[in-house]
Amino acid sequence: MQKELENKFLADFEQNQNIVHKICRIYTTNQDAHNDLFQEVAVQLWKNYSKFRGDSKFSTWMYRVALNTAISLYRKATRSIKTQDIDDFSYRIKSSEYDDTEELQLKALYKAIHQLNDIDKALIFLYLEDKPYKEIAITLGISAVNARVKMSRAKDKLKRILNP
Amino acid sequence: MDLEKFKKTWINQPENSEKLSKVDIYRLTQSKSSSIVKWILIIGILELIFWTSINFITPKSFMEIYKDFNMIGFLNAYTILHYLIIIAFLILFYKNYSSISIIDSTKVLMKKILKVRKTVKYYVYYNLAGLVITNIIITSVFLSKPDTLMKALNPNGVSVEITTVLSVFLIATIVLVLIIFLILWLFYKFTYGKLLKKLNINYLELDKLEKLN
Repeated sequence: MQKELENKFLADFEQNQNIVHKICRIYTTNQDAHNDLFQEVAVQLWKNYSKFRGDSKFSTWMYRVALNTAISLYRKATRSIKTQDIDDFSYRIKSSEYDDTEELQLKALYKAIHQLNDIDKALIFLYLEDKPYKEIAITLGISAVNARVKMSRAKDKLKRILNP
Repeated sequence: MDLEKFKKTWINQPENSEKLSKVDIYRLTQSKSSSIVKWILIIGILELIFWTSINFITPKSFMEIYKDFNMIGFLNAYTILHYLIIIAFLILFYKNYSSISIIDSTKVLMKKILKVRKTVKYYVYYNLAGLVITNIIITSVFLSKPDTLMKALNPNGVSVEITTVLSVFLIATIVLVLIIFLILWLFYKFTYGKLLKKLNINYLELDKLEKLN
């Protein structure tokens, strides 16, 4: 039974691991911190997997656990932004199929998101992932109306950083 | 400028170059958690152990002086009460800890973590207040019987002014209590204070957001 659960978990995680990578990228600015956070998320996901009843999609549940870990459970997340680290990270996501303009745009986007506070980061991340307001509200524990209001403010902040 | 353009870029971004295998993921899940809640609990427990051992390592001869002042009954009653309170705190610590679930919404989760913090804070306040109050009581009783105190402080009967001895005793007690108080306060600041600073900011942010309506 335990073995079966474990296999299912590993398969689900393997398939959805990129979600966690993206969250780690917006909450950390260097590879060490990224790996630390990724590990903590993996620990929390597995520790709580037995409580995951499958009434939502695995990925939805993963968003919540990973964001909660980044916002409230993770201790080492406050690291100052170093340009060098960001360059290092952009190298890592380089891909031949991704054209230069898009790559520059993505780099600028990550750099801008790094300047937001933890809650705004979560809001913007969920927006970029194309999540409905209802899901955003449930994840953060606020009303959908408030999620909308706060989202428009977070978007304004992000636009101002991207286009000073 | 529209963020939709960035959304497209975001969704099209390539996957992380280092794709983890199931074995890698399994290895990660077997490591230890370094989460804030875990550290709060560990520090809380270490502190409990520290206080309890302080009580135990206090030498028996230290209690002799209290016999002269008929304070043994008071001290025993206080010790029993103290341990009952500590046990109550332990139960609260555990209850808070076990109620924390990462699958709650962010706000509920942070509320629970802050509740842990509050319990720990009251625990520290209790210890600080206990330190001051018991010392005030003991010192007052001591000073109310200057002759007995004099005999205890100066067993060889060296000729000194009784007022000098009592003043030195009083000042030394106050300084000592202040030093212990300060150490405790600094300890609190550097452990829980540091751990929870960022969390507090996040919680306030969420709270502000909820009050928008």
